[in-house]
Amino acid sequence: MQNHPSYAVLGQVLAKYPASGGALFQVYNDLTLAQRWSDIQILDLTACGRAAIKGKRPTTDTDQGPSTCVVVPCSLSESISTSWLRAAFTSLEPSPTEIYVAITTEDTSTVYYKISQGIVKPPV
Amino acid sequence: MSLVNPTSRSKASSKPSARRAETARIYAHPLPIIFPEPTYTFLGLSLTRPLNPHCTALLDPITRSAWVENSGDAAILWQRGFFGKGDLSRSEPSWLARQINARKMKGKGLTSEEITAKRRAERKQFKLDRAKAMAAAAAEAEVAFKEEGRVIAPGIAPDGTRIIPSAATWKPTSISVPSEESPPDDTPDELREEIEPIQDLEHLQLSLQEAFFLVWALDCLTVLHPETNEPLTLAEIWNAFQNAHMSSLAPLLALPPPRFDNPFLVSYIAYHHYRSLGWVVKSGVKFCVDYLLYKRGPVFQHAEFAIVVIPVYEDPQDQANSPFKLQNAEPFTWSWLSTINRVNSQVQKTLILSYITIPAESRVPSKVLSSPACFAHYSVREVVLRRFIPARMRD
Repeated sequence: MQNHPSYAVLGQVLAKYPASGGALFQVYNDLTLAQRWSDIQILDLTACGRAAIKGKRPTTDTDQGPSTCVVVPCSLSESISTSWLRAAFTSLEPSPTEIYVAITTEDTSTVYYKISQGIVKPPV
Repeated sequence: MSLVNPTSRSKASSKPSARRAETARIYAHPLPIIFPEPTYTFLGLSLTRPLNPHCTALLDPITRSAWVENSGDAAILWQRGFFGKGDLSRSEPSWLARQINARKMKGKGLTSEEITAKRRAERKQFKLDRAKAMAAAAAEAEVAFKEEGRVIAPGIAPDGTRIIPSAATWKPTSISVPSEESPPDDTPDELREEIEPIQDLEHLQLSLQEAFFLVWALDCLTVLHPETNEPLTLAEIWNAFQNAHMSSLAPLLALPPPRFDNPFLVSYIAYHHYRSLGWVVKSGVKFCVDYLLYKRGPVFQHAEFAIVVIPVYEDPQDQANSPFKLQNAEPFTWSWLSTINRVNSQVQKTLILSYITIPAESRVPSKVLSSPACFAHYSVREVVLRRFIPARMRD
C-alpha cells in the first residue's frame, strides 16, 4: 500500500487510526479516482475514532453546482451506534444537515448511506 | 461489448447471439487452471499436465486483502472464475479504460459503469417528460370540463393515441453520443503521443477467502509479504490471514492464538463450501447479505441465491470468552429476518441461511488449528427461506 499515491496523503491518519485505515483508504480512492470528487479535505473526528472526508460532489444536473458533502468511512465488520452517528454530527464544524456513511467490504464494494438528523421529507 | 476487452469485429458483435457467443468465448474457463484435451493417454490416464497460470498477489493487512497488480494476472483471475474485483470499478478493473475513454471523448464503446450512468440519466429524463405530459393532459382536461362541461380522458388524444409516454414508447430526444463513423485511427494515436500516459492506479483486489482458495485449493496463486516481497509459505499465509482479523498491533507472521471462531476461518468455510460445489461466490453487501451465488458468473445472469452466514457455537462458553464479535452469532430478531428476506425477494433472489457450527474448544484439541485440516471439524447446514402467503400461493 505504501507505493500507492494516496498513501502519501493519508499516511499520518492511517497511523493514528489503524483500525479504520482500510475503510478510509478505500473510500478515499473511490471518491478521488472513481467518483471524481474535488476539493478533498481530510477531517479528524476524534469522537468517532477515525478520519472523515469532505469534498465537492459532481452533479449531472446543469442547474445545480457541485455540493459539499462529508463522508465517514466504516467497515462492514464494525458495529456502529446512533451515539456514534450523533458524535459525527457534533464533531463537524459547521454541523452539516446530512452526512454520508460509507460502508466498505474486503472485496472493495462500497455502499453509501445518507444519514440526516431527524425526519427528512423526501424530495417531490 | 466491453471497452476493456475490445474486439475487432464491431458490426457482428452488436447482435445478442453474437454477444452471447463472445461472452462464452472470453469466460469459457470456470477456473484459472485449464485442463487441456489429452493428447497422450497411457492405460487410460491422461499424461498432459494442467496449465497453471501461477499468478502473484501482494498481501495488504490494512485492507485485509490481497492485491493483484499485474494486469495480465488480474485478467486471468477475473475471466476464469470471476475471482476478485477491481478496486475502482464495479466488477473487472476498468478504471484505466474509463479514463482513456473520457479523454478521447469519442464514447463509441462504453464500460459497464458508463452504460449504467447513461441508462440512469435517460430514465430520469423519461420521468421528467412523463410528469410534464401528465400535468399538461390533466390541465387540458380541467380546462375542457370548466369551459364546455366536457369530460375527456386525460391520457388519450382525440384520435385515440396516447399522449403520455410509456417506458416502451419513449425515445431520448437528444443523442449524447454521436453515432457517425469515427475518423481513422491515426487521430487517437496523435492524441496519445501528445498527452502523457495515465498511470494505472487500480488493482484487482482479492478478499482473503478468495486468495486462500486460490492458494490452497487450486495452488495457482503466490502471495507476497507486503514489506519484503518474499513469497509466503502456506503456513505463513495460514497464520497471516488469521492475524489480519486480530487487533492491528499483532505482527503479521506471529502464531495467532488458536481460536476456532476466527472470522477468517468462519467465512472461509462458507466460501470454500459453495465454491467447491461449483457456484461463483461474490460479496453480497449490496443486498444486506454475506455472499451471492452465481450459477456461471455475474456476466451471464443475476445471482440466484443470497447467503447469510450464521455462526453457531457448539459451546456457549466459547462465545462468552471470544475476543471476536462475530456477526449474526446472537439470536436474530424477526424484523431483521423480515427485512433481509423482503430486500432479496424484491430482486428475485432466494435467501439461504447458512449455519456454520464452530467446534467446542473442550472437545477438539486446539493443535488442529495449525493447519487447514481443522476444517473437517466444522459443519455447514442450509435453511432456505421463502415468504409464504396462503391466500396467493395455492399451487
